[in-house]
Amino acid sequence: MSLIVEVAKELLGMFLADAVLTMTTLVLVAIVACLIVGLHVDPLVGGGLLFVGSLLTVVGAVVREARRQSAS
Amino acid sequence: MDIVPWSVAAPVIGAAFLASLVEVVEAFTIVLAVKTLRGWRPAALGTLAAIAVLGLLIVLLGPLLELAPLHGLQLVVGVLLLLFGMGWLRKAILRSAGIIPLHDEDAIFASQSAQLASASRQTSLDWIGGLTAFKAVLLEGLEVVFIVIAVGSGRGLLWPAAAGALAACMVILAIGILVHKPLARVPENTLKFGVGVMLSAFGVFWTGEGLGVPWPGQDLALLVFAAVFLCAGLATASILRRAPLEVRS
Repeated sequence: MSLIVEVAKELLGMFLADAVLTMTTLVLVAIVACLIVGLHVDPLVGGGLLFVGSLLTVVGAVVREARRQSAS
Repeated sequence: MDIVPWSVAAPVIGAAFLASLVEVVEAFTIVLAVKTLRGWRPAALGTLAAIAVLGLLIVLLGPLLELAPLHGLQLVVGVLLLLFGMGWLRKAILRSAGIIPLHDEDAIFASQSAQLASASRQTSLDWIGGLTAFKAVLLEGLEVVFIVIAVGSGRGLLWPAAAGALAACMVILAIGILVHKPLARVPENTLKFGVGVMLSAFGVFWTGEGLGVPWPGQDLALLVFAAVFLCAGLATASILRRAPLEVRS
């Protein structure tokens, strides 16, 4: 039983290592999907937003963790 | 059977190979600790049992993937790759900047050996060693299976991706047999940095494809994404290394 729990934890940990990073990424994808599918914005603009947003998300996550580490 | 252009297959094989290399090194360290303390039998049995479970997962999941609509599959896999790849990249940048410690295979080997030695005092059964090897190979192998499926399924390149992962297993196994100690000299964080960059680039690419984005240059856009992620990651690590952040009050 504990093995199944560990496998489940490992699987979750693969995608939820940083909750804020995960949430920001999901919100970014949802916004881009709404723009492209719902508001019929040029898909290339949506793609550009997805790319730049992903870059900012990962850099933001690093800076946030660096701040947290230096505070502790 | 269609011949896949090398420019399309190479990033897929490369990403699967490098990512698997990292995971296999981690699993190898623990299997080696089991082998050292409990002998090759529990180590090999645990490893083979885990490989059998992973094989079963692939056999069960493979046909399901073929039934899924391509755009839906690209979107789901793309989002999962974004989460997974950016998570790896974040950690690799933090390690490269010296904010969190590097992964130390020697320390992991010592810690696993101590745990096994302590368990051996309580019981002489080899199944503890076998279970330890099984868990290590299963948990690291799950990540390999995910990476192979994620980078390979978007373009129907599961077999080339699987070949990349298998090659990584063979390389580590061969080096491990020759060296016969934890592979502490493998530049693991550099590999993780590279893999995080590639998986993040794949994540943006597949998510965009899933949403109907016609990327300029098609598959070549992947290389551009990877280059930009790499530059951004290196620049962030370098800035943090030189000027540690001040804490806002």
